[in-house]
Amino acid sequence: MMQSLLEPKMIMTIILMGTIVYITYLTKRSATASDYFVGGRSFGWFTNGSAIGGDYLSAATFLGIAGLTFQLGYDGAYYAFCFSIGLTLLAIFVAGPLRRFGAYTVADFLAYRFHSKRARLAAVAVVLAISGFYAAPQLLGAAQILSMFFGTSYEFGIIFTCTVMIFYVGIGGMKGTTLNQALELWIRLGAFILMVAAAIYGGLHYEKILAAISEFKGSIGGTAQYATDAKDVEFDGTSWTGTGNYFPTFWQTVSMTIGLSLGTIGLPHILLRFYTNPSAKAARKSALMAIAIASVFFFFAVYLGAVGRSIFLSGAAEPQVMKDLVSGGNNMVVPSTAQALGGEWLLGLVIAGAFAAIFSNLSGLFIASSGALAHDLYATFVRKNNISERERVIAGKVSIVILGILYGILGLMVKTASIGHLVALAFTVAASTFTPIFILGIWWRGMTEKGAIAGLIIGLVVSMYMIFFSSTLPEFLQFKIPGLITVPIGFLSVYIVSKLDRKVPADVNDFMRKVHSKESEAA
Amino acid sequence: MESGIIEKNIFKELVQKGGKHMANEYSEYDYVAAGTIDVSELPPLDTETEKIMKDEFSTGFKLSLFYYAFIFAIPILNWFAPDFMFSRMWGGMTYAWFSTGIIAMAMAFIIAYVHTALYEKRIQKYQNNSSPLDKSEGRNIG
Repeated sequence: MMQSLLEPKMIMTIILMGTIVYITYLTKRSATASDYFVGGRSFGWFTNGSAIGGDYLSAATFLGIAGLTFQLGYDGAYYAFCFSIGLTLLAIFVAGPLRRFGAYTVADFLAYRFHSKRARLAAVAVVLAISGFYAAPQLLGAAQILSMFFGTSYEFGIIFTCTVMIFYVGIGGMKGTTLNQALELWIRLGAFILMVAAAIYGGLHYEKILAAISEFKGSIGGTAQYATDAKDVEFDGTSWTGTGNYFPTFWQTVSMTIGLSLGTIGLPHILLRFYTNPSAKAARKSALMAIAIASVFFFFAVYLGAVGRSIFLSGAAEPQVMKDLVSGGNNMVVPSTAQALGGEWLLGLVIAGAFAAIFSNLSGLFIASSGALAHDLYATFVRKNNISERERVIAGKVSIVILGILYGILGLMVKTASIGHLVALAFTVAASTFTPIFILGIWWRGMTEKGAIAGLIIGLVVSMYMIFFSSTLPEFLQFKIPGLITVPIGFLSVYIVSKLDRKVPADVNDFMRKVHSKESEAA
Repeated sequence: MESGIIEKNIFKELVQKGGKHMANEYSEYDYVAAGTIDVSELPPLDTETEKIMKDEFSTGFKLSLFYYAFIFAIPILNWFAPDFMFSRMWGGMTYAWFSTGIIAMAMAFIIAYVHTALYEKRIQKYQNNSSPLDKSEGRNIG
């Protein structure tokens, strides 16, 4: 028992947990709803930019991008490229106006833009759908990591992670969540920086490893003992460095590019972060900071995927690393590469980083969904807005417990699902629902309540159908990520219904003045 | 609960006074019966807000257009000029890998940086030419 507690991976994980508890304790007092839901709008660009990075760079990114590059080669790197686009578009079209708008939740935007309870309700449904689809793979990843490194059962992993989240978000609110997310981001980035430094120090330069990989063709020695078919793993370097490994056609590639690049604009937990800045100027700088972090992060992830592949092909790694790379799946590439490059301590830091990624992303989803339940549903529909600040905070905390249970059940249901499939679903739904609503709602006065609701419902239904029931569609409409079809449908639904309806809010000019005025810029 | 009732009463009073509500923090005035009008009867925006929106959108649109031209150039070249894109630049680094794994990451930041720099320049210009319309007269939610 004592020996296992002294293992580097255990020490690093305990330090991470201790830090989370300490930050949560320091930030436990949320006197007002503003404190609880938007951190009192007190976070500067550095902290908030780090927190946005922490929110965006989930476990699927921390472990998944390098894993996809390791497995798919160039197509894996293309995945990272698509993820890197979204934050920039969000910074250009949405970040500043959204902060000037203020409020607490994503649904507030629609409710206020159209003075509409129906629009709020539709937005709540979409927030919960996107957050659920996004939370499920994070929980799946958390349970898998706990199982791989600490030998726990899948069910224990789900329950443990949800319990940590209930404590972490329920007590700390947005203040604790933001500070924890910022810290957790730097743990992950620190792990990647050390891995990159170790790789370069070891002579694994980018162009050299790509050359070695592309020239490799044949079986990888020493892998048969770990393979299920007892044969050495075959590898073709030319195919790995080329395209078409994952997306077999040009249009599949274009569809993914549209879905992933525009999906970020519609992710509720990312949108919510811009409410926590003190001003629109700080919101834009936060976005810039997050983009800088994400760009460096994706660059490192792709490089480390290639480093992992190079180590694997050389056959020079320790038996345990080779075994993990053969049988552990994509999620094992970053930990195994860390172990090969820096031994047990670097592996420990990467494991702590993986937990940090999961906690960071899940906490953002919990806060966004908690706002939808407590602020949008309970305070608005049940209490008819006749509710004190303290009661709002309590409702927020109760909703975190409810969400913990719901997400836990969801996590248990997706045990055999594909993480990538669920994440793609969340991005596609976001790109086809909130992205058209926010872009058109901020920039087009002609958008009507009916147009917005139609856009949300049609976007949600079409995107879910095209993912879950793609086999019922003609072959040319079967996309892995159907952004090419669903995003234009989302935009067109809003546009056409608004054009037919023609009834815009009488005070839409006041709204536009509010979200585009310059008065709060220099604050 | 008490503060909620007080806020609601204040809100009702403000609505009765003319529908303008100024507050420092969010409160429950989402459902003002502002009514709707036909889009053809919508009065034009004030010139300043219109200019801000136009400048902002124009800059963002141009940058996005440039960015998406770069973004889509990569798959187009990959699929229709693979001999060039998958030929080596140096070592094993191909044009495709270099543009996707390195340049694209830098591009995401460069576009956002240029947008922020242009925005700050515009704000500086607006502040130097401040007008009586500096203060938003519309809805304010803190």
